[in-house]
Amino acid sequence: MNPFATLGVPARFDLDLRALEKAHRELSRALHPDRHLGASPSERRDALSRAVEVNEAWRIVRDPIRRAEALLALRGARVSEGAEPKADPEFLMEMLELREALAEARQGRDLGAVRTLARGIEERSNRVLGELTAGFAGGEAASLVAKVGELRFYRRFLDEVSAIEEELAA
Amino acid sequence: MTLFEIFDPKAAPRPIGIDLGTTNSLVAYVSNERPVAIADCDLEVLVPSVVTYLDRGDVVVGRRAQLLAPEHPRDTIVSVKRFMGRGADDPETRRLGPYEFIDAQPGEPNTVRFRVDGGKVVTPVEVSAEILRALRQQAEDELHHVGGAVITVPAYFDDAQRQATKDAARLAGLEVLRLLNEPTAAALAYGLEKKQNGTFVVYDLGGGTFDVTVLVLDDGVFQVRATGGDSALGGDDMDRAIAYELLADLGFDAKRQTPRLVRLVLDEARKAKHALTTQEQVEAVVPGHRSVTVTRARFDTVVRHLLERTGTACRRALRDAGLRPEELDGVILVGGATRVPAVRAYVQELFGKPPLADIDPDQVVALGAAVQADLLAGEGRTDEVLLLDVIPLSLGIEVGGGVVDKILPRNSTIPCSAKATYTTQEDRQTGFEVHVLQGEREMVADNRSLARFTLKGIPPMPAGMARLEITFQVDADGLLAVHAKELTTGLEQTVSVKPSYGLDDGTVERMLLDALDHGEADLVRRRLAESRVEAGRILLATRKGLEADADLLEAGERAAIEQACVDLDASVHGEDPARIQARIDALDAATKAFAGRRMNRAIARAIEGRRVEMVEKTVEHAKGVEEAHAR
Repeated sequence: MNPFATLGVPARFDLDLRALEKAHRELSRALHPDRHLGASPSERRDALSRAVEVNEAWRIVRDPIRRAEALLALRGARVSEGAEPKADPEFLMEMLELREALAEARQGRDLGAVRTLARGIEERSNRVLGELTAGFAGGEAASLVAKVGELRFYRRFLDEVSAIEEELAA
Repeated sequence: MTLFEIFDPKAAPRPIGIDLGTTNSLVAYVSNERPVAIADCDLEVLVPSVVTYLDRGDVVVGRRAQLLAPEHPRDTIVSVKRFMGRGADDPETRRLGPYEFIDAQPGEPNTVRFRVDGGKVVTPVEVSAEILRALRQQAEDELHHVGGAVITVPAYFDDAQRQATKDAARLAGLEVLRLLNEPTAAALAYGLEKKQNGTFVVYDLGGGTFDVTVLVLDDGVFQVRATGGDSALGGDDMDRAIAYELLADLGFDAKRQTPRLVRLVLDEARKAKHALTTQEQVEAVVPGHRSVTVTRARFDTVVRHLLERTGTACRRALRDAGLRPEELDGVILVGGATRVPAVRAYVQELFGKPPLADIDPDQVVALGAAVQADLLAGEGRTDEVLLLDVIPLSLGIEVGGGVVDKILPRNSTIPCSAKATYTTQEDRQTGFEVHVLQGEREMVADNRSLARFTLKGIPPMPAGMARLEITFQVDADGLLAVHAKELTTGLEQTVSVKPSYGLDDGTVERMLLDALDHGEADLVRRRLAESRVEAGRILLATRKGLEADADLLEAGERAAIEQACVDLDASVHGEDPARIQARIDALDAATKAFAGRRMNRAIARAIEGRRVEMVEKTVEHAKGVEEAHAR
C-alpha cells in the first residue's frame, strides 16, 4: 500500500500538515461507517474496509517516523525494525548511558532531572527531523535509514519519560 | 408489556441518547432539532445510578433505591460503573464500600459478583441493565416508541468495560446504535449549539472516572486528537477522602467499620462536598455522632492530590496532540464534580484560561448522545456532522522477554486495523501463544491483559521458518477483534476479545432469556422486529442510492435490484425472520457491484473537492494572502 496515494497527497517528508488533515477529513466524510449505517451489508463492509485503509494511511503519514519509513520503502530501502544495519556502537553506548541516567532519576523520584533529560532528547529529535527533511529533499535514501533508527530510540525514551512522570505524580 | 407491541410500523421510532453515569444517569432525545433531557413523573431528569435488590425479588432503581440505601447497605449497589468489566480481585473493587463480594473459585471466571438480599447473586452487567431498563421505560413513557440508543462511555474505558456496557444494553433490550465517548458527546452538544471551529479540551470529572480529550472542530467534523485519563478517579474519591477525615475525627478505624456506618459517612461526605460549592464551611453530622466542621480550605487540601492526577493526564494529552495550553480555544467542563470550586480553579491554573460551563455539566453528555443518536438514525443532519474518534490506549502483543510490541498506538483514529508478523522461537514448535495487551508501558506486567489464545496446528518447522501474521481490528465502537494467521500454511484463527471479565456470549444470551417473560417466544418476536427494522433501512438506502447515482447502473442491473426490493418488501409483511434475512442477503448480492461503483465515486469526489480547494488556496497565495501554517 502506498499511504500517500490512498490519501491523495504528495509523497514527501515535509508535508503541509493542514492539507493532510483535510485530505483525511474529506475521505472520512465519504467513508466513515456512520455514513453507511442504513446501507446493505456489503456496502457497509466495503465502506468499513476502505475507512480502515484511509485511517491506516493517515496513521502512517502523520507520524514522522512512519512517514519516513514509508518514503524509504517507496525508494526501495529496507526499513522494518530489525532488518536494518546495526546502529553505530557509539550512539548505542550513549543511549544506554542516558537510559541509565533516566532510571536513576526515577529511582531518586527526581522529576526535575527526568524533565531535563527529556528536553535534551526532544532537541536531538528535532535536529534529526530537520536532517531528514533536507535528506529527503535531496533524494537520498540509504543514509537516512540510520536517522530513522535514531528517531525510534528517542521516541521510546520519551514514552518512558511520560510513564515515569505519571508514576511520580501518582 | 410484551415485545410484540414495540413493533408498530406506524409510530416512528425515536432514537435516544443515554448517559450511563457513575453517580447519575439520564436519557435525552432530539425534539425540533434541539436535544432535551427526559424527566420522570416527578420532573427530575437525573436518575441516581443506584439499584436496590429486595428479598421478595423486587428491584428498585433511582431515587427510591437511594432512600433504601441506609437500611439495605449491602443490597444497594451504588456507583456500579466502577465495577464494570473489572476482575473480582481488582484493587478497585475492594475499596471502602459496604458490599459483600463473592470470591471467584479457582477455574471460575474472574467476575465481580455481589451477594444481595435473599442470597441472590448479581453481576455489574445485570445491575447496569436495571438502570438502563428504567431509563428505557422513562423514554417510552414520553416517546412511546424508542428506536435505538447511543450510550456514552468514558473515553478511557478499556475494551472489557466497553463490552460490559454493550452487554448491559442488550440485556435491557436496547439496540445500541453506537457506544460514544463521553467527552466527544459533550463537544457535540456544545459544537452544534455554538457552531464554532477551533481546538478544545474537554475536562470531564465524573463520579468515578476522569477523562481529558483534545479535539478539533472543523467544518462539522469533530476530530479527536488525543485522549487520556484515569478510569478510577472521580467525585467519589473526593467523598472517600472526606469520609476518611470524618472517620478519623470521630475516632474510628476506617478499616473496621460496619457497612451501615460506612454508607452513612460516605453520604455525609458527599453532602459536605456539595455544600462547600457555595459555602466556606459546613458541619457534617453522621447520625448518632457529634458534628465535625469541614472548611473549604481543608477540603481543598485533601482533594489536591486527586486534582494533580488529572493534571498529569491533561499534560500528556496535550503533548500527544502536539499542542501548548495557549493554543487552545476553550476548555469545556463536564461532570458534576467540575462544580467544585477547587476543580475550576485548578483547571484555570492548568490551561491558563477560564473554562466554559454554559451547558449543565450533568446533562451535557446525554444531550450530546441524543444529537449523535439523531444523526445516526438518519433523522438529522448526517451530511454535516461526523465524529472521528480514537482508541484511548495502545494495543499490542507480548513478544520475547516479557516485552510488549505495540501494534496500534493510542490515539489511532477508529475504525482501524494493523498487522504485525512474528516467527517461532523453537524448532518443531506447533503452537503460538498470542497474548493481547492494552497500555503504554514497555513491560507486559505493567499493562492490562485483554486475552490470551493459542494458534495451534502449525506444522513442525525449524525455528524462524513459520510466519505468523497478527491482525488487530478496532471497530467504530472501539471494540477489538484479533486475527492470527500462519502464512506458510494459511492456518487461521479469530477471536473477539471479550471474555477477560468472564461473561461470554452464551452467558449473555442466557441472561437475556431469563430477563424476558416468555423466553424463546419473545426472543423470536424480537428477532422479527429487528429484521423488519433492518429491512426497512436497507430498502430506504437502496432507493436513495438508485436515485442519486442512476448513471452508474449497468444494463439490466436496475431491474434485478428492483425485483430484489419487491421480494424483500413482501417478506417484511410475513412473520419469518429467517426469510427476511435471506431476502436481505439477496438484495445485498444484487446491489454489490453498484455499491462498489458508488463508493469509488464518493472517494473520487472527496479527493477532487480538495484539489479544487487547493487550487483556490494557491490563487490566494499568489495574491499575497498569508497562510498560517501548522507546525
